[in-house]
Amino acid sequence: MTEPYAVPVPKGYRVGVWEVREPIATGAFGSVYEGRRVGTGTARPAEVALKFLPTGTGTPRQLSHLRELIDREVELHRRLKQPRLIRMYETLVVDDPERPALDGATVLVLEKAQGSLSALLARTPRPEAGPALLAQICEGLAQLHRAGWVHGDLKPANVLLMQDGSARLADFNMAAELEGTHAYTPAFSTPDYTPPELLWSEIGERGRRIRPSADVWAFGVLAHLVLTDSFPLPGGTPTARRDAAAAYARGTDELRLSPELPDAWREIVRDCLTRTHTDRIGSQALLRRVEAAAGTGRSPRLPRSLLPRRRSRRTTMLAAATAVVAVSALGYGISTWAGAGTEGAGASGGETTKVTAATYGASELRTDKGIPVAYRRLIVDSAHDCVQQEVTPALIAALLKAESNFDPDLSDPSVGEEGEYGIARWTPSVLRWWIRADGVAAEETPRPPFTPAESIPAVGRYLCFIEPRLKTSLPGDRRVLIAASYRTSSKVVNEENGVPARIRDYADRVAHYLKEYTPPGKK
Amino acid sequence: MYSIIVVPPPTTEDETDRTQIRLAPGERLSFGRSASDNDLTIAHDGVSRRAGEITAQGAFWILSNLSREQTYVVENPEGAGEHIKVGPGRLDAPVPFEFSRIVLPAAGDLLAVEVWAPRHDYLSPDGGLDGATTAPAFSVDRTKRYFAVLAALCEPRLRGEPHAPLPTVDQVVDRLRPHWPAASRTSVQWNIDYLAVKLRLKPGPETADTGPRLNGKKESLVSLALRFDLVREDDLIVLRGPARPVAPAPGRAAR
Repeated sequence: MTEPYAVPVPKGYRVGVWEVREPIATGAFGSVYEGRRVGTGTARPAEVALKFLPTGTGTPRQLSHLRELIDREVELHRRLKQPRLIRMYETLVVDDPERPALDGATVLVLEKAQGSLSALLARTPRPEAGPALLAQICEGLAQLHRAGWVHGDLKPANVLLMQDGSARLADFNMAAELEGTHAYTPAFSTPDYTPPELLWSEIGERGRRIRPSADVWAFGVLAHLVLTDSFPLPGGTPTARRDAAAAYARGTDELRLSPELPDAWREIVRDCLTRTHTDRIGSQALLRRVEAAAGTGRSPRLPRSLLPRRRSRRTTMLAAATAVVAVSALGYGISTWAGAGTEGAGASGGETTKVTAATYGASELRTDKGIPVAYRRLIVDSAHDCVQQEVTPALIAALLKAESNFDPDLSDPSVGEEGEYGIARWTPSVLRWWIRADGVAAEETPRPPFTPAESIPAVGRYLCFIEPRLKTSLPGDRRVLIAASYRTSSKVVNEENGVPARIRDYADRVAHYLKEYTPPGKK
Repeated sequence: MYSIIVVPPPTTEDETDRTQIRLAPGERLSFGRSASDNDLTIAHDGVSRRAGEITAQGAFWILSNLSREQTYVVENPEGAGEHIKVGPGRLDAPVPFEFSRIVLPAAGDLLAVEVWAPRHDYLSPDGGLDGATTAPAFSVDRTKRYFAVLAALCEPRLRGEPHAPLPTVDQVVDRLRPHWPAASRTSVQWNIDYLAVKLRLKPGPETADTGPRLNGKKESLVSLALRFDLVREDDLIVLRGPARPVAPAPGRAAR
């Protein structure tokens, strides 16, 4: 690191209760140093990261954009405190006329991290903890997006790794709060992580319009990089890769992902790197799939030390940060972390009941009736995405059983004009209306094969649409009526005043499995 | 996502709003006399039936000369005579200029096809070449005339009056004439229009009507330039001369 520091600060310099220690990094807009608390009487941690931004030099006019970038970061930290976002403790302004280079600089006091993902990748390409880290990065994005913000500059250097090996998002200079479907960010970007629609995009006086889907593209690039040590788009230079992205977006080139990418991730990366932003997967749906992929990928080799034990849940291991494995990626709402891969890694775990894929959603969906484990998470989450009480995991599972006997590769071109495909026997022109997480029809009719990851959430959305359209006066189990409408339509079921005779068999099978899959004590 | 703009020769004398053909990287535009074989027809007897092809190649473009015996000259209009020659039959010759004029010798007339490459990248004052660095979305060449025009537009506000009225086009001409004797209303206006393309100014809602809306465009350019520090106070040196090219102002590298 021989590059000059944007803001040189001498070691031992005091700002507020902090003493400046070693430099950590320098970015496009400022420099970060280690900070040690010297004052007492404060609840602040003993060590922090101090980010110095050169707001003091030059005239304010010349640095108008820097001021704006800092305001964005501070505003985000002020409004959002989420477990996967780095924390800010306070902001300070240097008042030191003796040192014109420092006087007036803004200092952000931030949670101190162990390192960044880019440093980890430089040391260890394709880190073993990659999938688990990706799950956490995705969680951070989902948290940001859910709160109505766009990060705008997701890349390895902006993902920080904490002492316990967990990942957090940082550097919110480009972050912007959504206004409807998009936000305005300053016109800065990192070429390798910029989605094609923002390459040479129009820029208004408020900056560049950006959507959460831009972060999703960046996540796809980052996932490909973490898992294969290469960029998804070909080219030896950022410029060549930018041109490849442009050619891909125009449809003149196909996406050729690295053959080293594991299958489970291939689909995820592909759904992040779609040509247009409208086809890109939403971050909430992305999170579920990333967690499933990270979880299934990790579970067979989960070290014994990570199995739950009766120990204090506060115990954390600091060993071997690079070989850390996420327990949370496997299960559900667990955030205990531990070092693994070294012999001393025994003191960890938690008393929280761990939920693995095999028992995911066990309170609503029986685990002993042959529902394939691989689909449990998709089934349960798809049902939970619907506000209608009748759309339950058991209903979706029963429907899939009756439709295809859980055959993900079902292909039945003979039915109707288009045929039916996949685990949910989707008719392509119907699936088009439900395939997208945001409830908008896809631009083109999707072509089979349809993966379970596409099919099952779409079933949840369609059932959720059907439920309020069925008359309340219809006789029989409402859930079976919903399934019957899936097979025919809510209009047909309303008109025939119940399950149409010709699909009686189907409805009976759904009713049978519905009962079988529902845990005792549940409706 | 276009990176190259082709402006065909004017078809009638008075046409002010010349067509612009936008090419994205990888897109190809063939030109020549024949209306059936070409994307761009140049109806002049002296031009070959299939005269040539322009292909956008990332931020630059390549020219193929498909004629049998004519050499095409590609001039850099701001380059003080700088030009390249592309001989007959030469395929895919790279052209490095941001502004180019392809001169087609056509039976005594010289027809000029203009090609702009507004996406050229320049080293930013504080960034590297690296694809992982957060970089501004604009890159401007501080030695070009458009930069002098932008600086002249921004000058009053950079000199300390944040709400100063913008100079009129005529005032910009007067300001620039000492170092750019050929400056005229038209050339300054041309540079303003080019800046709007180059900085990818979002066309405002007012572009629908064709009335005098130049002020809106200037206003947007200046606020964009100031907001993103495309022009800073020490850049105003380009207005003082000496004549271009101007070395980067001292102190910039240190920032």
